Amino acid sequence: MNMKYKGEMRTITGNAAAAYGAMLCRPDVVALYPITPQTEVVEQLSRFSADGLLDAEMVEVEGENSAMNIVAAAAISGGRVFTASSSWGLAFMYDALLQTSGFRAPVVMVNVNREMPGILAVSTGQQDMIGTRDVGWIQIIAEDCQEILDLVIMAYRLAEDFDIQVPVMVNYDGFYLSYLSEGVNIPAREEVDVFLAPLKEQPERPKLVPGGPLGCGTHGIEKGFVELRYKHCAAMERAKNKFDEIDRLFGESFERSYGGQIEEYYMEDAEIALLASGSASGTVKKVIDSKRKHGLKIGLVKLRMFRPFPSERLSRAFRGKKAIGVIDRSICFGWDCGPIYMELRALSSEIGLIPMMSFIDGLANMDISIVHIERMIDSVYAASQGKPYQRVNWVILEE
Amino acid sequence: MMVKKKKLSKIFDYFRDEDPFAGGISICSGCPMELLLRFMSKVLGKDIIIVGTPSCSAIVLYGQNIGSWHKLSYYGCLMTGVASSATGITRYYRKIGKDVTVVCFTGDGCAADVGFQPLSGAAERNENFIYICYDNEGYMNTGVQRSSTTPFGAKTSTTPIGVARRGNETTGKNLPFIIAMHKVSYAATATLSHLEDLAKKLIKAKEKKNEGFAYIHVFSPCPTGWGFPMDLSIEVCRMAVRTNYFPLWEAERGKFRLTHKIKKSRPLKDLVRMIRKFSHLTDEEMGMLEKEVHERYRLIEGVTQMMPLKETP
Repeated sequence: MNMKYKGEMRTITGNAAAAYGAMLCRPDVVALYPITPQTEVVEQLSRFSADGLLDAEMVEVEGENSAMNIVAAAAISGGRVFTASSSWGLAFMYDALLQTSGFRAPVVMVNVNREMPGILAVSTGQQDMIGTRDVGWIQIIAEDCQEILDLVIMAYRLAEDFDIQVPVMVNYDGFYLSYLSEGVNIPAREEVDVFLAPLKEQPERPKLVPGGPLGCGTHGIEKGFVELRYKHCAAMERAKNKFDEIDRLFGESFERSYGGQIEEYYMEDAEIALLASGSASGTVKKVIDSKRKHGLKIGLVKLRMFRPFPSERLSRAFRGKKAIGVIDRSICFGWDCGPIYMELRALSSEIGLIPMMSFIDGLANMDISIVHIERMIDSVYAASQGKPYQRVNWVILEE
Repeated sequence: MMVKKKKLSKIFDYFRDEDPFAGGISICSGCPMELLLRFMSKVLGKDIIIVGTPSCSAIVLYGQNIGSWHKLSYYGCLMTGVASSATGITRYYRKIGKDVTVVCFTGDGCAADVGFQPLSGAAERNENFIYICYDNEGYMNTGVQRSSTTPFGAKTSTTPIGVARRGNETTGKNLPFIIAMHKVSYAATATLSHLEDLAKKLIKAKEKKNEGFAYIHVFSPCPTGWGFPMDLSIEVCRMAVRTNYFPLWEAERGKFRLTHKIKKSRPLKDLVRMIRKFSHLTDEEMGMLEKEVHERYRLIEGVTQMMPLKETP
C-alpha cells in the first residue's frame, strides 16, 4: 500500500508546524488562548480558520483552564479537538488536565516547553512537562519542526485509538523550536485523511448525547474508582507498543519514521551512551558524529515518549553499556538530580549497576552547547573506565 | 348549590409526565433546590444535557459508581469548568448541526466565585446554552461557609459572631445583574414561591439560548444553613420577593423588565426575623442590610425605566 508520497516543502516555524499538523487532522473544536512562546500556534490556526482552510468551532477563551475544559467536553461529546499552551498556562489547566485524563477524553494538545517556576523565566526548559507528568496524560517530545508536525498527526491516531483513549500532549522546546524556521514537508490533507481513516473503522467510543442516560464524572468510589484507575494504567501501558506501531505506519505513509518510543542513534555497538530529549538531541547527534570519527564508541537514545515511560525499550537499549549520561532540561525537586535521570535509575536492576550520571543543563534558555556535550561525554567515558565520577553535574555551574 | 372550583395553576401540567429522578432520593428536608432541579427538568424536557459540579446538587445529579439516580444526560465536572465544559459540548453539537439544550446547574459558590471567570467568558461570547444558578448565599454543601453572594451581616461558619468580628463584612456580589450587563441574550431572576414565573423564564431561556447565552439566577434559601424550619422554605422565598430583597426581573440584551412588581413592599425585618443567620443583627447592622437591599432595588428599578424591555405576549 506504499503510495507515492508527495507533500509540499515550506520553511515554517515550529509553532506553524504544530498548527499545520492540527489543521490537517480536521479538528471539530479548537480552543485558543495565547501565551509566550506558543502564541503563534493560535494565531496561525485563526488564520487557517479565516482563510477557510480549517472548518472548526474556534473558541477564543478567557483562560487556559477553560480551554482544556472545552476541548475535554467536546471530545466526550464525540468531537476531535485541539488546544495549545505552555508553562503557566499548563499549570492553570492542571485540574482540567486531571479531569480530562480521568474521563479518558482523547484530547490532543501542544505544550511548548517553557521554564518555570520563576515568573520572569520566559525561556525554554521542560519543567512544565515534568510538573504534569503524573496527570495521566501521554507525553511525547519532538526534536525538530518536522517532527512537531508529524507528532501532532500521530497523536490523534494514538489518543483516539479505541484501545487507548488517553489524551496526548505533544511537547517541543519553546524558543529553540517554537520560533525556529526550518524546511518542513507538509503532507497533503487527503494523505492525512487516509492515515487517520482507520480510526473510523474502530468501535464507537461512549459519547455524551442529549436524552441518553450517560453520566460522566460520576462519583467513582471504592471498587469502581480502582477499576477505572486500573484500566487507565493498562491503556497507558498499551500506548507504548501502539506508539511504535503508529510510528511505523506513519513511515509507510509519509516516508518518515522516528523509532517510536525512543530513537536509537549508534546504539548497537556503543560502549557508553547519552540519553537526551527535545531539540538538544540534534546537537548531541552532531557531537557523537565527530566523536565516532575519533574512534569513541558512543551512542544516543533520544527519549520521544516520556509518559508512559518506555522502560522495556530503554532497558534493552542500555543493557551491556559501560556508563550512561542523562541530560535533563529540568529539575526533580526533592531529589538532587534531573527527573529523566531519576526515572532511568529506576531501571538499574534491568540495565545493570553501571555508572549513571545526571547532567542538568539548558535551564532558562542556556544553550546545551557542543562544548557542554563534549564535556559530558568525557566525564561519562572516564566513569566507564572505572575512574571516580560525580553523579550529578550542573554543567553551567562547573565552567 | 354551585361549588366554586378553584382553577389549578398551569404549572401542574408539568408534573404529569414521569419524573426522571428516582423516587426516595432527597437532599436536606425542605430544600428548595431539589424542587428546582426536578421542576427544571420537567419544564425543559428530557432531551437536555446537564452540566454540574461537586455541590449540594451533586448529591442527586452524580451517581454512585455505575449507578445513576436519574435518567438524564449528565456531565459532572469541576467547579472551575462548568461554563467552559458546556461551551465545549454546545460547540461540538453546533459543528455537527444538531440542536441541543445544555443546562449548567450550579450553586453560587461556583457561579459567583471559583467558576466566575468561565461564566463571564461564556456570557461575553454569548454561547448557546442555559446557566441556572441556585443561590443559597454560601457554600452549603461543605458546611455553610461564606461566598461572594453572602449578604451583609450574615452568620456563616467562616464569618461567625464574636467580640472582634460580627458576621459577613461585605455586601456581596449582585451576580444576576453582572451577568445581565454582559448584554447576554437572556438573564432573569426567579424563585420557588413563584413557579409560574419560573416556568415562563425557563421556557424563554430555552428559546433564547438559540440566540445566545441564557442565565437564570434562582433564590434558593437553605433551611439547614440559614436556620429556619424546613416547612418555611417557600415562605422565605415569597417573603424575599415581597420585601424586595430578591426582586424578580428579566433582561434581554441589556434591556430590563420587572416580572413581578411589588405594589407595597413589606419591611425587610419580616424576612430577616424568619432566618437565624440574621438573628444577631443590631439596629445599626440591620440598617446597613436595608440600605444594600434598597440600593439594589433602586438599581434594578432604575434600569427598567432607563432601558425598558417590552413584555412579550
